[in-house]
Amino acid sequence: MSVEPFNKLVKLAARAFYDDITTKGDNQPKTGRSDNRGIAVVVLDALTRRQWVREEDLAKDLKLHSKQLRRTLRFFEEEKLVTRDHRRETAKGAKIYSAAVAATVDGHPLKEGEEKVKMHTHSYCCLDYAQIYDVIRYRLHRMKKKLKDELDNKNTVQEYICPNCGKRYTALDALRLISMEDEFFHCESCNGELVAESDKLAAQEGGDGDDNARRRRREKLKDMLQNLEVQLKPLMDQLTRVKDLPVPEFGTLHAWEARASAAVRAANGDAGAIDPSKSSQGLGYGGTSLPFVGDTKVEVDFSGTEGKGENIKSETESSSLKVLPPWMIKEGMKLTKEQRGEVKQELRMDGSSAAVEFSDDKKATIENDDKKNIQDEYIKAYYAALLKKQQELDEAAKKEHELSNTHSLNGVSDTTSNRQVGIKSKRDEDEGDDDVEWEEAPVAGNSNENYKVNDLNVQADASGDDEDDIDWEEG
Amino acid sequence: MFFHIVLERNMQLHPRHFGRNLRDNIVAKLMKDVEGTCSGRHGFVVAITGIENIGKGLIRDGTGFVSFPVKYQCVVFRPFKGEILEAVVTMVNKMGFFAEAGPVQIFVSNHLIPDDMEFQSGDMPNYTTSDGSVKIQKDSEVRLKIIGTRVDATEIFCIGTIKDDFLGVINDPAAA
Ligand SMILES: [Zn+2]
Repeated sequence: MSVEPFNKLVKLAARAFYDDITTKGDNQPKTGRSDNRGIAVVVLDALTRRQWVREEDLAKDLKLHSKQLRRTLRFFEEEKLVTRDHRRETAKGAKIYSAAVAATVDGHPLKEGEEKVKMHTHSYCCLDYAQIYDVIRYRLHRMKKKLKDELDNKNTVQEYICPNCGKRYTALDALRLISMEDEFFHCESCNGELVAESDKLAAQEGGDGDDNARRRRREKLKDMLQNLEVQLKPLMDQLTRVKDLPVPEFGTLHAWEARASAAVRAANGDAGAIDPSKSSQGLGYGGTSLPFVGDTKVEVDFSGTEGKGENIKSETESSSLKVLPPWMIKEGMKLTKEQRGEVKQELRMDGSSAAVEFSDDKKATIENDDKKNIQDEYIKAYYAALLKKQQELDEAAKKEHELSNTHSLNGVSDTTSNRQVGIKSKRDEDEGDDDVEWEEAPVAGNSNENYKVNDLNVQADASGDDEDDIDWEEG
Repeated sequence: MFFHIVLERNMQLHPRHFGRNLRDNIVAKLMKDVEGTCSGRHGFVVAITGIENIGKGLIRDGTGFVSFPVKYQCVVFRPFKGEILEAVVTMVNKMGFFAEAGPVQIFVSNHLIPDDMEFQSGDMPNYTTSDGSVKIQKDSEVRLKIIGTRVDATEIFCIGTIKDDFLGVINDPAAA
């Protein structure tokens, strides 16, 4: 079962519908710092890279306060995007989960002594893809229906307002509102003459009379409907693409754990090819323990003559170090060469003998053909130019470091996913820039995707799916 | 929509009715009490069609009245959202028109009247198309669709539309 199209669906929906959702406590002051719009998108994105995840761990990975995360998750639970499960468990119970996610030893330097004696309630969450598909379809349907109905004036209950006291009535009150003297409706409390609501709207806009107002309103609605069609087209396309695919189903937390740990056991039996602890170390996810959706199925072709141990090692290494996109690299960042993407090519080149094959189709092609290399060179040059530009910008606005970063990013019209992940979480915490470890998508897939997207910007003739760089209209 | 259902009611009867015609008296009183009433739950009771059974009477302390639990079959009329009804126009004004379908009152506001029909005031206020071929006035018969209902404990009021295919005037009293 391929999760990728569904993940894309989730990401698109997140940006379309949950971009400016705030999950704020009521008593919090509304300062700029506590503005957490965009968190919803970050959380959803993070969930697309996981299956079942303990909410504490997720909070840690995203560097969010667990309360804030829980609030967001509860919101998504209400929106029917996420299923959650709560259970009281001892340290042992937690370990079952840890085993299930294939990181028994290194993942959690928890306060184990404490947990041995106490039962804790842990919450887990997971995307519910089947339901998400339905929810999004339903939402789109409702949006369209509402606009269309309003456009045809169908099934809408007329509302009336008293201009004197502001009291509102609907057509359902009509019987009580008629008066014997004239043909108008009269307010129950002040006997003022009621006005139909659309007429009032027209009056506000300075229109005169019924027809004008109606026409203007129709135009506005038509515009909205058209905007909806245009702006949500990628989402609708993705829906149709996903329509006939089998929906990824992780089952309940319990079932999933059983399945996952069985898989790990099977993998362990497999000539030690994939040692769970080792691979999870390699993933280096800030001590997290999650099997990535894409990485759980790694096939290694042993046809190469070299010893298998070496192959595997190089593979885990390449996935352990995240290659940061050049625009993210700033002065003063402590990065290995590999992370800067400088050594990557050579590594991959001799890796071709090992013929590493990722099961996921998107990741299937690693850049070992010439054309791709040329493209990469091109992109490198492009990034260099970009970096230069960025430095200029930095000087111009030294104080607002991060802001300028945002601008230049937007200028690239990068995948929104990266923009959101990088920037918003950065804004959220005030640590130094240097040693921040970003929550990142799995390297192979993501970096590849980035290149692809930017290819489109650079080369006009490159064909591909260009719904990656949609510019959502904000606000 | 019409339904044939069984309802139950406790009938209180004065002792003077006790005699050979006790049963008839109970039924007559039931019809008088129930037919034409409206309950929010079941709608308007149109007619009682039969008595299922009459239970044992219970003498009320102090009064001598006896209450009989009566189960009866009846036809009820309950309007629903989306239902198509035929109704007679009772009043026309600038805000729209009122119509009746049996016991139900329906209001059609002017924005749910087709755009090509204009309000004409006068002795006989009406909505007329520009070519005068179609006219809605008092006593016109219209087919309309219910788009909303207000259901209170003892009252049902509807709003409707004639702005859809096959809705509107079905017979014009002026032309007939
Ligand atoms: Zn008033």
